[in-house]
Amino acid sequence: MVVDKGKKAKVAERGEEDSDHIDDELVLSIEKLQEIQDELERVNEEASDKVLEVEQKYNEIRRPIYGKRNEIIKSIPDFWLTAFLSHPALSNLLSEEDQNIFKYLESLEVEDFKDLKSGYSISFNFSPNPYFEDTSLKKTYSFFDEGTTNITSTTIRWKEGMNTANGVAYDKSGKKRPFPEESFFSWFGETQQKSISEGFSDEVAEIIKEDLWPNPLKYFNNEADEEDFDVDEDDEEGTDFEDEDDDQADEDEN
Amino acid sequence: MVADKGKKSKVAERGEEQDSDHVDGELVLSIEKLQELQDELEKINEEASDKVLEVEQKYNEVRRPVYIRRNEIIQSIPDFWLTAFLSHPALSDLLTEEDQKIFKYLVSLDVEDCKDVKSGYSIVFNFSPNPYFEDTKLVKTYSFTEEGTTNITGTTIKWKEGMDIANGNGHEKKGSKRPLTEESFFSWFGETELKNFSDGVTDEVAEIIKEDLWPNPLKYFNNEADEEDFDGDEDDEEKGSEDDEDGDQDDEEEEDEDDS
Repeated sequence: MVVDKGKKAKVAERGEEDSDHIDDELVLSIEKLQEIQDELERVNEEASDKVLEVEQKYNEIRRPIYGKRNEIIKSIPDFWLTAFLSHPALSNLLSEEDQNIFKYLESLEVEDFKDLKSGYSISFNFSPNPYFEDTSLKKTYSFFDEGTTNITSTTIRWKEGMNTANGVAYDKSGKKRPFPEESFFSWFGETQQKSISEGFSDEVAEIIKEDLWPNPLKYFNNEADEEDFDVDEDDEEGTDFEDEDDDQADEDEN
Repeated sequence: MVADKGKKSKVAERGEEQDSDHVDGELVLSIEKLQELQDELEKINEEASDKVLEVEQKYNEVRRPVYIRRNEIIQSIPDFWLTAFLSHPALSDLLTEEDQKIFKYLVSLDVEDCKDVKSGYSIVFNFSPNPYFEDTKLVKTYSFTEEGTTNITGTTIKWKEGMDIANGNGHEKKGSKRPLTEESFFSWFGETELKNFSDGVTDEVAEIIKEDLWPNPLKYFNNEADEEDFDGDEDDEEKGSEDDEDGDQDDEEEEDEDDS
């Protein structure tokens, strides 16, 4: 804010110029205030950078653990399908057909860009299956400094008659089967950037990244509790249908 | 998760009947290993949160003296906070005519985090002695507990006789009930229950003041101050029409116009 030199010269004079004098002091105060705000902004940027550094560092520490985790998950059949179905929000997104497709889901992976702030991607890795040619379906979110978000996604190469994402499929006799339920896989096609005023939100992405990915086991366990291979921990839930000889002991069921 | 010893001892045996136990045994092991990894991840996440908190605490300490200096300067700008409030798109709607008169006595605003940052913060409105209430300080405090709940406390305003506008009494119409078409901003101090929004519980006013107004009130103040005389050259195009008395678009000569 440039001070008007004409006004400044009159500062020395009192009387009628009182209002100029006051204006002048006000101008100075506002200038000083602006300098303080600039200083605060520098401090805030420094703080943000430091926080980002911490987050980047811990992301690097987590990576190998996620890698190990992925290996173990492969030896648990239908792990991600079960976790999805046990999640209060995500379970609603899978149609019957989707669940059949998820039988081929080998792994889920959420990966931040190295600098963290530029974005992340969510990948669903499938084994070869009768539904589509792809083995990896990926959705990527890129954040730009101006605040916009770019979303890119795999275009699914559906096999003949299997395109559930667009609502058409054929049953065994060749008749068109209408899909009243929207398929989860249509999520890959949703790449419209929302306007900045709406804020960026792809709720499904946020839930997968912030909620499911950090600890899918807690959701998996909720459902697994009811299944045979889960042990002592959930006896009170298991006894109802497993206690064949009525003695409340697991060991002799078989 | 404790492995069932009975099932585990059958792992060595093969054959149809024990195959399912064998598979179960491996599954149990996988899930146990997975749990260990999740526990490891949790420790790492806690460490990361602690480190982030440390950074925030450090920079809060750095900011405090700057806010104090800022407050000193603001004291020399009349009606600074009132103007900033009225220029803020959301906050301006909260001040009734009467509230604005009371805000003339507002000396300063202060938003202060607890030292550890995570336990909460308070918003303080400091007033000079005024005809409306006895208090010189109105405070609203938010305390976050470990369990995740929020405790809110707010000053019970000691209104002077007939001035309690937060509860609908106005001095203008003594003896007759004045219907409250507008709610006073000061009722906010009495709201110590969190509102329930679909995305969680919040006190929106508190969030706006803390996250938006407090960090940089000058940007809002300037939006309004642009239209006033004491602002310098910067906004000539906006004030040219009202200040350009001799029509020559030149600031310097304006005051002289009156002298002749």
